Amino acid sequence: MNAPAWRMGAREALPLLSGYLPVALSFGLVASQAGFSALEATALSLLIYAGASQFLFVGMIAGGASLWLTVVMTLLINARHVVYSLSLAPWLSDSRRWPWLMHGLTDQVFALAHYRLPLLAERDRMSWFASTALVAWAGWGGGTLVGSLAGEQLIMQWPLLADALAFALPALFLVLLAPRCTSMRWAMALLASVLSALLLALLNLTNVAVPLAAALGALCLYLSPETADRTSS
Amino acid sequence: MNNAIWLAAGATALGTLLIRMLPLYWMQRRRSEASVTEREAAIPAWPGMLAPLMIAALLGISLAPQPGSALTWGATMMGSLATLSGWYTTRSLGLPVAAGVAAYALVVMSGS
Repeated sequence: MNAPAWRMGAREALPLLSGYLPVALSFGLVASQAGFSALEATALSLLIYAGASQFLFVGMIAGGASLWLTVVMTLLINARHVVYSLSLAPWLSDSRRWPWLMHGLTDQVFALAHYRLPLLAERDRMSWFASTALVAWAGWGGGTLVGSLAGEQLIMQWPLLADALAFALPALFLVLLAPRCTSMRWAMALLASVLSALLLALLNLTNVAVPLAAALGALCLYLSPETADRTSS
Repeated sequence: MNNAIWLAAGATALGTLLIRMLPLYWMQRRRSEASVTEREAAIPAWPGMLAPLMIAALLGISLAPQPGSALTWGATMMGSLATLSGWYTTRSLGLPVAAGVAAYALVVMSGS
């Protein structure tokens, strides 16, 4: 165990927590309203550990959908995760522990790891990732438990706090993306992805927004003239 | 939850884990089978290009205010500006996020 890397990972996971908690509280609340006990909702969060698909899982079960259709739909939403560990592979060693640690590879942990892992020495990477993933996982599970037990009272008591904390996630993504705008070509491609995903989310097409918007950004990158690739910083 | 629902939850959890871990496992196998000189070439370049674009898409989704109103849009804009200003000044992770959340909260509180 590498203590400084563990501490650094835990510290850097805190902004994730402030974004996770309101959503985990909401999930706990929705699950309890759908008839799941606090223990069951928390088990779903710890085992499946994928926000949007958990909401879909609980919603489809509560709506009486076929169980196998529920499983297939949930996995389809999570299919975007296929690319995540591949993207991190250049910075991961051949240790057999790494594939198991990928249970903690959510959207947010991926974005943070994609920024941080290249900057760390190889010996620090596993400790940093394990710590970050563990804090985020525990926060998600704990938030679900609290949401199941007392979500309604909490949200009624501090509605503004939950709203404000939810902005931590977009703020974190902004900070992680800002250093990637190294050229006009990349800035245009990233902006195309952001705006198209925002539009799709506003049209309630959140589930397909990530692959579609990323594909549009890639197309934009491919079509941009090479002359726009001059580094600006 | 009855047994059938537990089974569905288990299948979903296992499937999600495999979606996350198998690509890396495959890459590790491919890399270990490659010679020392071929190791870098064994890793395809496209995931590295796609990753920032997927993060950008996640940003786009998370920027959609809930509920959508002039106040939440304004708060989102102010929060984003404060975050970017904080990043430009400090080039760090924590402070810009805190600045963004504070700006967002201020606008929401002042308008409600």
